[in-house]
Amino acid sequence: MKAFLTIVLKEIRLFLRSTGLVAAVLFFFLVDVYIVGNDIEIEPKNVKIGYVDYSDSPLANRILSKLHEPEFKPPIMFKSQKELTRAIYEKKIVAGIIFEADFERRYTRGLNTKIDLLLDSTAATQSLLTLNYLQKIILSLSERTPPVELKIHKLFNQNADTKKFMPLAELLSILTLFGVILSASVFVKEKEQGTWDIMLLTPVDSKVIIFAKTSSQVIILFLLTMISTGIDLFGIFDLPLNGSFLAYMGLTILFLYSIAGIGLFVAAVSNTIMEVAQWSVFLMMPIIFLSGAWTPIYSMNEYLQYLSYLSPLRYYIEGVESVLFRGTATADLWLYFAGMGAIGAILFGIGYKKIGRLF
Amino acid sequence: MKLEVKNLTVKYKNKTAVKGVSFGAASKEIIGLIGADGAGKSSLLHAIAGVLKFEGEILFDRYRYTSPKEAEPIKADLALMPQGLGLVLYDDLSVKEHLQFFRRIRNIPEDPEYEERLLKMAGLYRFQNRLAKNLSGGMKQKLSLICTLLHRPKLLILDEPTTGVDPLSRRELWEILEETRKSRNIIILYSTAYMQEAKKMDKILLFDSGEIIASGKENELLQLAKPYTYQQTECEECFCFDGRCYSIKPLDAARTEPSLEALFFINALKKGEREKPINIIPKQNEMPKIIVKSVGLTKRFGDFVADDHIDLELKRGEILGLLGANGAGKTTFIKMLLGLYPIDEGELWLLGKRIKSYQDRIELKNRIGYMSQNFALYKDMTVKENMEYFANLHSLSKKDATRKIEELSNGLGFREYLDSFPQSLPMGINQRFSLATAILHEPAVLFLDEPTSGVDTVARAGFWKLLHNLKKRWNISILITTHYMSEAEYCDRVVVLKEGKKIVDETPERLHQKFPGLDFEEIFINFYRSENASGSN
Repeated sequence: MKAFLTIVLKEIRLFLRSTGLVAAVLFFFLVDVYIVGNDIEIEPKNVKIGYVDYSDSPLANRILSKLHEPEFKPPIMFKSQKELTRAIYEKKIVAGIIFEADFERRYTRGLNTKIDLLLDSTAATQSLLTLNYLQKIILSLSERTPPVELKIHKLFNQNADTKKFMPLAELLSILTLFGVILSASVFVKEKEQGTWDIMLLTPVDSKVIIFAKTSSQVIILFLLTMISTGIDLFGIFDLPLNGSFLAYMGLTILFLYSIAGIGLFVAAVSNTIMEVAQWSVFLMMPIIFLSGAWTPIYSMNEYLQYLSYLSPLRYYIEGVESVLFRGTATADLWLYFAGMGAIGAILFGIGYKKIGRLF
Repeated sequence: MKLEVKNLTVKYKNKTAVKGVSFGAASKEIIGLIGADGAGKSSLLHAIAGVLKFEGEILFDRYRYTSPKEAEPIKADLALMPQGLGLVLYDDLSVKEHLQFFRRIRNIPEDPEYEERLLKMAGLYRFQNRLAKNLSGGMKQKLSLICTLLHRPKLLILDEPTTGVDPLSRRELWEILEETRKSRNIIILYSTAYMQEAKKMDKILLFDSGEIIASGKENELLQLAKPYTYQQTECEECFCFDGRCYSIKPLDAARTEPSLEALFFINALKKGEREKPINIIPKQNEMPKIIVKSVGLTKRFGDFVADDHIDLELKRGEILGLLGANGAGKTTFIKMLLGLYPIDEGELWLLGKRIKSYQDRIELKNRIGYMSQNFALYKDMTVKENMEYFANLHSLSKKDATRKIEELSNGLGFREYLDSFPQSLPMGINQRFSLATAILHEPAVLFLDEPTSGVDTVARAGFWKLLHNLKKRWNISILITTHYMSEAEYCDRVVVLKEGKKIVDETPERLHQKFPGLDFEEIFINFYRSENASGSN
């Protein structure tokens, strides 16, 4: 126990003394989470569109006037279809609308009327948004009410505010990356300095050394998560806390040990901090992509959906969402605890065995 | 053709590595730079080679340059071989491909006759298809040397080409240099940590803390030291080592012949340095007669046999020197003894106990001390914090730890540095503090891996005295590795490894009896030669 405490305290002391690392970590956990939560928008804004109006009609103007800020920049007028097409090629605009000369005439007479729409499909969301808007505008022109009305009830996130979900996803992704890097470098730094051999020769059980070093990083990461949760999530973004905070802390600690298991594996195969960085990025990508943090799991390929059960982040994200947004009772969270506990035990076991072989 | 260096200074961000150094060299001369790591040799050589910013001026063959940019035109006549075994070589290229590569990159016409001569000189003619990674350390250095000679440079700059190289290869390397300068107009600048190489140099520059403390031919330098060198005696304000005492104040003792090391001691005295008193409190330790016994210990890495059936015995209260070049298997052997590498074959007894598994070692760990290469300790913790940390891991009580740190920091003379960080310490202090950390828990046996490599003469002498003192007071056994053959003198018994095989196991006294009048360098060359002869049969 004394050895365990000695090692944990030493690692925390060394962490606090590496000012560059402390600064980087604080930046990511506080500033980066804030920036991502605040500024990254899934909804398009300021989409640039252009038009050619051969009809020169009030109706065309009426349609165009409905494409306004913040979604669209004021539409740019072009003289000919050729110029419009070139503008799309040169990426000056993403969508172009063409009104034929007989546009208004045909419409008022009730004939089959068309608007040509050119879309740059490489900017998929923006062009789809334009299409969507145009359809709505045209529908509203007809002044007919649709036969079925949709009555929408938004649950859990009443304003359908991405600003509540984005910072959480970003925090959890950062936690994954730093979890692997910190828990691996705490071993690899000793390899680099040559103190690893001396550590191995102290009469301390290898299990204690490994567990103490890992725990020191789990403690650091746990505190960082709590600080970020307090300041960024609850403070700035005003996330709800509908469930038990203790359950949130429990999930976090379980998750950190699972990630530390991956860190142990990385530490066993790396000899320099450089290799740790490479391995971490390499392993982190699938963990995050398969977790459902940035893409919903149900829209993945079926095989990938099965694979996503292997990502500890999946259980963590779903569990945390349940606690914060849905207010699931702690007892009903057992599935997430069990899933993450199992994955965590496996990952930690593999990592421990791999690095333990060096003893 | 002449080289003249005038008032050259090299500054780094927070350190002046070379302080206003001036010297000259004429064609066909070999100029030797001797000094410890960090004395400024490499910085000076890199500045002359035009790859490092400097102040002052350099004249070579009537061309004057004061910056790397101005040195550009003479780079065709220049060659630099940087420090480090095989650093300029590519692991997966063969000997022949190396010559080809350097010929092409230098854009010189093919000259098969010259290349053949170089290969034969280096003894690599038979191994032209061997990949660089499969060459021994000595062969690597010889290949590096002939690659730098390929474009027939007029100024050859060699930065510690022989450090860690076996004595026989070192001698062959020198033969290449002798041949080269006989046949051509060339100036050779040569830095080394081995004093024995001074004999072959036309002029020696002794370096300490970025300054030349003395220069001249070997016998001129010895003359300089003579007035200060006395036979072993009791004295104050002096340094005593290896049967000699050095003092600026006249001593009441007979004078004796100095060695080149003397000048470093005298320089230290002139700077006001004094020998750090060592005061180790005696301990009684119960110990078996044989501390370490290995029978046929073998370690393989793939096809490569790092240690080939080594038998070795370390007796109670003995200092055993494990000598050999880099790559001879010294560190691997120590790591096998310590359990840091698994043993592939053979038997091992530690402190009277047969070691078969990791479990067997656990209870012995408190009786073993280990100091790794480069005195590795935590650089972000102070000396005191480092010591407290290891005291805790060896489960010393807080009271005991404080007492021991007090006792050892006083006894080994680094008390005033307790709150400093290891990197800011002078190398000699760092060495003592690492040793103190290794003996905090009062081990019965101490394993030291190259503790003297790159350390300056005065600190090295102090360290050896410290080890002998420790042995006397604690009756501790010490296994120490070194690539300085001359350090055999200070051991109770020496074992020499060559390419994983044991070729010598003898006391220094017996070796001197067998080979009267020879120094250890020459003695071991005999063993290397006979081993080669029997090996090729």
